[in-house]
Amino acid sequence: MFEFIVGHYNYWMYVGLMMIGFYAMMAKRNLIKKIIGMNIFQSAIILFYISTSVKKGDVTVPILEHAHDGHGAHAVDIMHYANPLPHVLMLTAIVVMVATLGVAVAVTIMIYRRYQTLEEDEIIMSIRRG
Amino acid sequence: MVAQIPILIVVIPLISSLFCPLIGLWRKGLCYFWTVFSLSLCALASIDTLLTVMESGTIHYRLGGWTPPFGIEYVVDHLNAMMLVIVSVISLIVAIYSKRSVEQELPRRFVYFYTVFLLQVTGFLGIVITGDLFNLYVFLEISSLAGYALIAIGEDGAPLATFRYIVMGTIGACFYLLGVGYIYISTGSLNMADVQQILPQLYHSKVVLTAVAFLLAGLAVKMALFPVHVWLPDAYTKAPSAASALIAPLMTKISLYVMIRVLFTVFKPYLSIELLPITDIMVWAGFVAILGGGIMALAQTDFKRMLCYVVVAEVGYIVGGVGLANTIAMQGAILHILNDAVMTIGLFAVAGIIVYKNKSHNISDFHGLFKKMPFTMAAFVVGALSIIGVPPTCGFFSKWYLIHGAVIAEHWAFLAALLLSSLISVVLFFRVIEIGFVFEASHGGHAHSTGHVATIDEAPLSMLIPTIAIAIGIILIGVYNQTILSNIIAFAVPKL
Amino acid sequence: MKILSLMTAVLVGAVLIYGTLDMPKWGDPHSPANTHVSPYYLHHSLEHTATPNVVTSVLADYRGYDTLGETTVIFTAGMACILLLRAGRKRRGKGDV
Repeated sequence: MFEFIVGHYNYWMYVGLMMIGFYAMMAKRNLIKKIIGMNIFQSAIILFYISTSVKKGDVTVPILEHAHDGHGAHAVDIMHYANPLPHVLMLTAIVVMVATLGVAVAVTIMIYRRYQTLEEDEIIMSIRRG
Repeated sequence: MVAQIPILIVVIPLISSLFCPLIGLWRKGLCYFWTVFSLSLCALASIDTLLTVMESGTIHYRLGGWTPPFGIEYVVDHLNAMMLVIVSVISLIVAIYSKRSVEQELPRRFVYFYTVFLLQVTGFLGIVITGDLFNLYVFLEISSLAGYALIAIGEDGAPLATFRYIVMGTIGACFYLLGVGYIYISTGSLNMADVQQILPQLYHSKVVLTAVAFLLAGLAVKMALFPVHVWLPDAYTKAPSAASALIAPLMTKISLYVMIRVLFTVFKPYLSIELLPITDIMVWAGFVAILGGGIMALAQTDFKRMLCYVVVAEVGYIVGGVGLANTIAMQGAILHILNDAVMTIGLFAVAGIIVYKNKSHNISDFHGLFKKMPFTMAAFVVGALSIIGVPPTCGFFSKWYLIHGAVIAEHWAFLAALLLSSLISVVLFFRVIEIGFVFEASHGGHAHSTGHVATIDEAPLSMLIPTIAIAIGIILIGVYNQTILSNIIAFAVPKL
Repeated sequence: MKILSLMTAVLVGAVLIYGTLDMPKWGDPHSPANTHVSPYYLHHSLEHTATPNVVTSVLADYRGYDTLGETTVIFTAGMACILLLRAGRKRRGKGDV
């Protein structure tokens, strides 16, 4: 049981983080807070992916040692290097996340220019007033 | 050169979007011709791909030459070859159609509108053609970001609607990404074919069950399935006419395509049909969406908003048709993806023309439109008949297969929903047609335009010709539905 | 509304935690994620791409198409921001912020 918890608490941490972000996206009435919630949500997913690439033991970053000592492609001990693939995926996902953030903030600026506020309730009130 | 055609489908709009702002520095008007030119090349390439697939079967294209589970590959079979043609041809038609409407609605944004327009098409095509789960996510985000931008520049209130769309869309995309992550941690692969090979031993694992749930939930948000459709009507109503004509027919259809892909290519069909009650849930979700969308459409007074709810109901048709899980219903569902894309673009094109001429998309302002714009309204009637499902139009045939499938599956509730939805559509569209026939002169209050009532005041040809072409297309697809069905869709249906 | 959001968030979290129960242990070097595709990159990266940094070789070569998509996302975001914020504005006057 204890071993199970130690082996899985890392995933539960990311689920907790994701729930915080998800809640903020839905419940907060301020647009910037919603965007912050969106970022927390996406960061949680990145943490999850990165945690799939971890190997316990004598492990280092996936940069091959002795690469240039003349032997070329000698046998690589894969237990010695972390899994590179999730890192690659998350580099892409981080960029996607930043781009989404940029567009979301641009739209927020448009809303602010039009209504002079970022509170959703006030914006809806000002739309109703015409 | 011939072997490279699959990659050209995505690369042509991508590269031309790069050049679009540069051309815009020199001559603004050239951007339009540049867009039309590159999209026609793209349409030719995808038609060629479809012909190749029909002749010699599935195409595998390895990007960078790396073998599949390690590199990314394109897999083009009958289903996505058909989707490629739908997306590229429809975006070409919208591009031709959009010129005058963009000049009128967004005069300052002409150049960048077409740049983002091309990126939107790139995203759509990239989603459809790829055979890699993570790559699909990247292109899903390209198309979403471009879509947010195109919608946010619409009329007053569009930015707020877009903000809600961004929040919902990001939740959908993140759920999809989580699903992919769960598949990755249990299989170690991202290639769809490879995942399909590995997964069957893991079908009872909790990780895989959660992955299915999250993939489908994310896609349901993206395709605007009824309870989570709330972002769609606001966003598409307030978008500029050209943008809503591009996004409304395609975005939901592409999410539906991805759903079919996930259910029947990434997972084997028996997972969702026998092991888990996914298809049963889908039929009921379709049932709710058809009735919910139809009833909400009845309550609208705004033409574009009404069409948005029609789109929501049509999504229900396809989800339910796939959920019936027999070959006939599946054929009907896939045929309906094609038909619905064509019908929706036809109706949104008509809405765009009416906005262009009338400056309003409120149904109560439609008085005398049949006198004023006979050709446009003829196209509208064809589209409306097709949504209702009247024989020579294409909507009838896909509905017929769906009904036939529902009878085979003995799912009477879904059958009732299909029939009821036709009835609702009759009420919906005849209300519009009735108002369109009434002369404005008979309403004394509207004195300002009485002078123009009797004269014909048609839309410009660059808008009218694509609209008429779509109306003819609706009838042609209906007439030749048997050919399409036996040559393409029969092979596109997943083996159950 | 807040209660509803909280319930949705908790429900989603509960489903996600249910999914983690069957996952391989954190840091397990023999998990499928660490043994199916990724050893290929570690073994062959040097021979195929002559790059000691495996992340670089996967990013720019094996999955280079994803990176093309990534740069396209950035381009899209840039164009979207210009479309939204700059292109529609009137020519810059003195009082314009």
